[in-house]
Amino acid sequence: MLSVKNLTKKFAGKDALKGISFEVARGEIYGLLGHNGAGKSTTLGIILSMVSAGSGEVTIDGISVQKNPRKALRKVGAIFESPAFYDYMSGWDNLKVLVGLSGPFDKKAAREIVEKVGLTERIHSKVGAYSHGMRQRLALAQSLLPEPEILLLDEPTDGLDPEGIKWFRDFILGLRKERGMTVLFNSHLLSEVEQMCDRVSIIRAGELVYEGAVNDLRDDRPGLRLRASPEGTMTEVVKGFGGEKMPGDRWVFPEETKIPTVVRALVEAGAEVSEVTPVRRSLEDVYLEHNSSNKP
Amino acid sequence: MMFFSQLRGELKKLFARKRTYIGYVVFLIFEALLLTLWVKVGRAQFEELAERNFIPVELLSSSLTATYWIMGFSMFLLGSIYFALVAGDIVAKETEDGNMRMVLSRPISRLRILVLKYCAVMIYTVTFVIFVGVTGYGMALLAMGSEGGLFIWNPEMFILAVYPDRNEAFQRLFMGACFMGLSMCVVSSLGFFFSCLKIKPAAASVMALSVFFIDFVLQNIPFLANHKDAFITFRMANWIYVLQENIPWERIIESYAILMGLNISLFIMGWMVFQSRDFKT
Repeated sequence: MLSVKNLTKKFAGKDALKGISFEVARGEIYGLLGHNGAGKSTTLGIILSMVSAGSGEVTIDGISVQKNPRKALRKVGAIFESPAFYDYMSGWDNLKVLVGLSGPFDKKAAREIVEKVGLTERIHSKVGAYSHGMRQRLALAQSLLPEPEILLLDEPTDGLDPEGIKWFRDFILGLRKERGMTVLFNSHLLSEVEQMCDRVSIIRAGELVYEGAVNDLRDDRPGLRLRASPEGTMTEVVKGFGGEKMPGDRWVFPEETKIPTVVRALVEAGAEVSEVTPVRRSLEDVYLEHNSSNKP
Repeated sequence: MMFFSQLRGELKKLFARKRTYIGYVVFLIFEALLLTLWVKVGRAQFEELAERNFIPVELLSSSLTATYWIMGFSMFLLGSIYFALVAGDIVAKETEDGNMRMVLSRPISRLRILVLKYCAVMIYTVTFVIFVGVTGYGMALLAMGSEGGLFIWNPEMFILAVYPDRNEAFQRLFMGACFMGLSMCVVSSLGFFFSCLKIKPAAASVMALSVFFIDFVLQNIPFLANHKDAFITFRMANWIYVLQENIPWERIIESYAILMGLNISLFIMGWMVFQSRDFKT
């Protein structure tokens, strides 16, 4: 559904994107993760044709965004963090103006969407009086009109309360279930990405440093938080079992490794073991691993 | 059809803002002030001038003549500032507020977005000038009654015209308001152009006003008197020729063709900048 190929972009001579590529299949929810300034929003900007690409190409359902942005964006709905509406106009008038830019405004469809996002009672109030959550619901309504096939969400749950976040997550998952909606989800909230996405990419300093299924990240490899001295002996023994050092005194081992055997070997080697805590590698761990400052 | 519906949306954005109406209110107050000054001070001087030149005072000291003065002064003093403010906001404010990202995420070309905004600003400009004319005339009617014709005197543009017939005077004045509206479109085009650049809305307005007033000051430097035709503000002032007894259409068409060319050039330059811009948070 969405294909991003070798995107590069420079801002003031500095590389913002260095050949980003990924693909999102129809009906898939795909997460983009990265620090501030990593290049997530630039990627989204290029997909939406708001930012020009230095090189590379984006296609939506086979239509090139660079060559035919209007046609390509017909299938796209987008939501940004802190959606900016015309505060002095009602929610309904905002919908009319924004949706009217895509084509005729279908009142019936708009009413249905407004009801679906739970804004019916306040839709004729001025947006200036809306809470952040209501703005986000209105943003969702405008992005779903007329009928997009893919939603691009840029930090959509930022600033929402836990209830709002849950509502938003359930809504997006519901859209996928009902309409087979494809979603590109750009977020800092790792738990959200973990709960919503099928696959995830990690962008670091304009480069894609990781891509994989979220299920693969829920890695079943045995992991240990291990402290023992002398450290040299510990490292030697653990590496002998194929252990791999992770940030924060954490080690992961090949799947077949038996942890008691490792501990026994440590003791037999004369190491004083002070902590052995089994840990599961979470998405946060993966994220931190790929974004730790000692990475090249 | 779609274009007009989108244009309606653009006008709605413009007219739904309360501050748009602050401008209307300010103009009404300013017009009332000018009219009061005219009735209390200007009228007597004008009547004396008319008598010295053997012009029948009862025909010329009228609501239509007062309207002419109100329109001329209020537009020059306040109109330029006001149009520069509105046009300077039209793109830059939406960019600053983040609305532009919402707009650009829709399947619509940037050219079309700008055409819609430009048309909205031009409609606003012309109708605003006509509003000032109509309300100025309404106030003058209340203060001075409906009698009398129209007396036009502008030594800088070498115009002296007298219209004792009220119908003809009214038609000429209305035509004048329309042409004045077209002239003021240049200020709006300047504001629009600067609004397309990557600058704050206030900066766009200040830049437009700076160009306008620098042009006006240069135009009035004595040693440049023979080159007045080269200045935008002189061309803009050509609206007054529709009030001349024998309208010099050739001169008017030439000036408005130049102004239109300038407007189109400003639009194209603004579009080129806007088209090449990246819109990020």
